[in-house]
Amino acid sequence: MKFVSFFLSAALAFAGAAQAQSQALPGDSVYHLQASTRDAAGQPVPWPSLRGQPRVVSMFYGNCHLMCPLIIENAKSLQKQLSPRERAKLGIAMVSLDPARDTPAAMREVAQRHRVPDGWQFLIPSDNDVRAIASVLDVRYRFREDGSINHTSVLVLLDADGRIRARSEVAGAAADPQFLIQIKALLAES
Amino acid sequence: MKRTPSVVLLVALVPALAGAGDAGDGYRAVPGGDFRSSVRFEETTRQVRVAPFSMMSRPVSNAQFAAFVQRQPQWRRDRVPAVFASPGYLGHWATADAPGDGLDPEAPVVHVTWHAADAYCREQQARLPTFVEWEYAAAADATRRDARADPRWRMQLVNDGTPHAMDAAPGAPANAYGLHGLHGAHWEWSEDFASLLGDGDRRGQQDGDSLRYCGATALAFNDPGDYGVVKRFVLLSALQPGATLGNLGFRCARSTP
Repeated sequence: MKFVSFFLSAALAFAGAAQAQSQALPGDSVYHLQASTRDAAGQPVPWPSLRGQPRVVSMFYGNCHLMCPLIIENAKSLQKQLSPRERAKLGIAMVSLDPARDTPAAMREVAQRHRVPDGWQFLIPSDNDVRAIASVLDVRYRFREDGSINHTSVLVLLDADGRIRARSEVAGAAADPQFLIQIKALLAES
Repeated sequence: MKRTPSVVLLVALVPALAGAGDAGDGYRAVPGGDFRSSVRFEETTRQVRVAPFSMMSRPVSNAQFAAFVQRQPQWRRDRVPAVFASPGYLGHWATADAPGDGLDPEAPVVHVTWHAADAYCREQQARLPTFVEWEYAAAADATRRDARADPRWRMQLVNDGTPHAMDAAPGAPANAYGLHGLHGAHWEWSEDFASLLGDGDRRGQQDGDSLRYCGATALAFNDPGDYGVVKRFVLLSALQPGATLGNLGFRCARSTP
């Protein structure tokens, strides 16, 4: 009996190790960053918990009237060109650069104003985590004296493990066809 | 046993080091004030208000960073995730957890990425200084809080980041805030290195690049003659956060509550 349970536990340990290995984050995953955020409902969303689904991620801020609406429209336009199956596989997360002013209520207001489809996440990083998230996504930003923010306007495609697979510099409301191809290719992998 | 005398000496020195403005933790208080930065972004105003903060009196040393790597082994060069590092990260150390005998333990740690510097400061309940905080603190010489009007002092800043830098000399005095090495042989990361959107080579070209950023960038220098700041600005703004350099280290800062 003991003998059997020994083998059983050894087998279980082996299976556990194999599972842990398959779950190890690749070294270039942005989800190594232990940042904390909360969503538009005010619920905590640890940054590493975004793992598990391919996502398009961008950084923006609510009080932005030039580029940020374009970023949102651009992502909406991408989403519209996906099949329903593809759409279900791809997460979309908009991350605030301005946690002081982008409260959950402000994020809900942005989502409503832009008629953003259900399922989009609006994430508000902890104050001192904005720069770190921006750094792993290679988003550059700077607050100006008038409260506006100069920032890189970019959509970043992450695979389910958080590896950056493609980037699309936003220059208008229309989706970048090359980026769309890259998204479709990634979604076809899973 | 042989070490005892130096330990005693160190203990004896500690009270002497904890002078005015030093909370005894190696940080020096820097009172805030209005400051004319040598860097001008889009804003038309030239004065910026710097809030009071404190800053490590010296850059983080090899010994300090080795202790950090021991406390947080995920920052060892052989364990750090690739997303936070590049092949050069701590590459000059003898082993993955120690600088080795070939390096001065008190010398500033170099070949560190922005991510590693950020993690070190967070562990100290601190942060990296912003660019303007660094510039504000570095405007001081040994006796004046703003020595930039002195052409002789300023000329020496051409050597910043080289072995000939004025603070690289042995026994170089602290500046008026009690800070050492701001004009030393090493550059230092700033928290907002990535906000230095200077992209002067491409600006004005009709290639659509101006739309990369929300709002047009119009980087200029209020004072292009401020060599130390201009050099440092250009260097930092060209770096990726995972980059390392043999003459780039860091020190931490804290906002004054």
